[in-house]
Amino acid sequence: MSGLSLHKKIEENAGLLIFGILFVSAIGGLVQILPILNQDSLSTATENTRVYSAVELTGRDIYIREGCSVCHSQQVRPLIAEVERYGAYSRAGEFVYDRPFLWGSKRTGPDLHRVGGKFSDDWHRIHLIDPRSVVEASIMPAYPWLADRDASDTGNISAKLSALRILGHPYSDEDIDNADADLQGIKEIDALIAYLQMLGTGYSEGDSS
Amino acid sequence: MADLPSGFWSGWIIVLTLVSLAGVAWLSISIYFSKDAETQADHEPVWDTDLKEGNNAPPMWWFWMLFAAMIFSLIYLMFFPGLGSYSGLLNWSQGSRVADSYANYEATFADSRQVISDASLEELQNDLDLMATAERIFTRECSPCHGPDGRGQAAMFPNLHDIDWQWGGTPEQIEQSIRQGRNAIMISWQQMLGNDLDAVTEYVSLLSEGNNQSHAGKAGYDQNCVVCHGPTGDGNQLLGAPRLNDDTWLYGGDIDSIRMSLTNGRFGVMPAFDQRLDDVQIKLLVALLAR
Ligand code: HEC
Ligand code: HEC
Ligand code: HEC
Repeated sequence: MSGLSLHKKIEENAGLLIFGILFVSAIGGLVQILPILNQDSLSTATENTRVYSAVELTGRDIYIREGCSVCHSQQVRPLIAEVERYGAYSRAGEFVYDRPFLWGSKRTGPDLHRVGGKFSDDWHRIHLIDPRSVVEASIMPAYPWLADRDASDTGNISAKLSALRILGHPYSDEDIDNADADLQGIKEIDALIAYLQMLGTGYSEGDSS
Repeated sequence: MADLPSGFWSGWIIVLTLVSLAGVAWLSISIYFSKDAETQADHEPVWDTDLKEGNNAPPMWWFWMLFAAMIFSLIYLMFFPGLGSYSGLLNWSQGSRVADSYANYEATFADSRQVISDASLEELQNDLDLMATAERIFTRECSPCHGPDGRGQAAMFPNLHDIDWQWGGTPEQIEQSIRQGRNAIMISWQQMLGNDLDAVTEYVSLLSEGNNQSHAGKAGYDQNCVVCHGPTGDGNQLLGAPRLNDDTWLYGGDIDSIRMSLTNGRFGVMPAFDQRLDDVQIKLLVALLAR
């Protein structure tokens, strides 16, 4: 049989054509995606990676709500220039508790994956309320309202933790019971800073993986 | 550290990839070089008894493009990871690329780095090129807090070019500030001072003028503050307690700012740079700041 007679058969038979298209376009996924879903080493947390606390998770939701990932990526690529500027390049196992990932695709501002511990809480507070007061030429928008709004109004945190537990994140009953109390008395900006300060702390030079 | 697929899935990838490649090769070769290529018409679908599409053979350069792409994939798969657990002849990985870049960097700059390591601080300070490098490092790492020229900002981040050092201005002390960071702790005095708070605030603002022995705030100051700030407000570099009897203030020297320092306490944090910078970079910064 030659390709030409196969061509004739497929073109005359719509069912076969549809099946052929689906099959050929599935091959890429079968090679690229299916094996990775089954590769445990990629979904095993690095040694110091832990689930987000109630406060950090709330900060993360605020990060998503405010669109920080539009300007900031969260993945240090394995290139010397990036490692020099930001720190150790990102490992797959650091993102196992990220749903969804906030890797981002655009760097208007710097990458934030290793920002944890780089600045003090005070600096973040000033910078978020008015970036120009510390970085003269900054084009980052100001987020003054974060300092006025209560973190506890951001959503039902214990329901979020319970949902994540169903997906396999190891939250204890205690974590979930205390979640609401943890958010009492703090503002959104505090939660966001707590999140920023733990970013990228799941890996340190010399860890395995 | 190679994170390549293994076991069943490795075989799965290899088989699917090679079978697809072979399939494309067979399809294109059999279409372009089929013996009955001239009788193409026989292979055309015919609709409604006599309706034909009149296919033309695709141009030959298409085939050569496809052919070149297939050869390229084979060579690529031979040298680079792509076929399951086979890591390729070059043993290339993203991690090894970074390691290679660093090895290359070390080799290229080992000599100039050695020169910096061996030089005395004065020699470094007299080398304008190196000081320009140090300033670039400062701009990148330190200016978000200490300001673009290191003169402090936001009434929270200290001026590093004045003579007033909170934690000490010797090269060793500066180096320690950079490597280990600094955590200043002054608790709130509201509870302790109670009604004396305003008087002590005023006393502190007058420390620079001397002649305040009979001030109402002196008792409160002597009782609570002397351990850290000293009897005359000279400060203590071991504790990072700043000098209070001069005109240089970190958080501001007007009455309101001083009252704020006492009411809320102050907890200045300078992050540690031990992990972020290497020895040579830190030495350059020390030379820059100890000028
Ligand atoms: C319009 C794009 C934009 C958006 C949106 C944005 N940023 Fe930025 N960000 C920047 C730019 C540009 C810089 C670099 C200048 C500076 O430091 O202000 C920056 C710097 C930063 C830094 C300092 C990083 C470093 O290593 O120097 C942090 C932290 C940060 N942004 C956090 C945030 C957070 C949190 C949000 C969401 C609330 C956010 N950004 C939203 C553009 C943006
Ligand atoms: C997150 C903000 C931040 C960054 C970034 C930062 N610093 Fe600081 N630094 C501070 C603060 C705040 C203090 C004062 C701490 C205190 O209140 O005692 C300080 C204190 C210092 C001191 C001691 C000053 C004294 O009077 O004794 C030195 C030296 C110093 N920084 C150098 C640097 C250098 C060099 C860099 C860059 C590698 C840097 N800092 C980056 C916030 C920062
Ligand atoms: C345990 C030691 C300690 C004691 C006791 C103490 N301080 Fe302080 N004080 C500090 C430190 C450390 C800082 C620097 C805080 C920082 O940099 O964030 C400071 C900062 C200050 C400042 C701000 C200086 C500036 O430059 O803006 C004032 C004002 C001050 N202290 C006044 C007082 C007074 C008044 C008392 C007594 C009621 C007192 N302190 C007791 C350690 C102490």
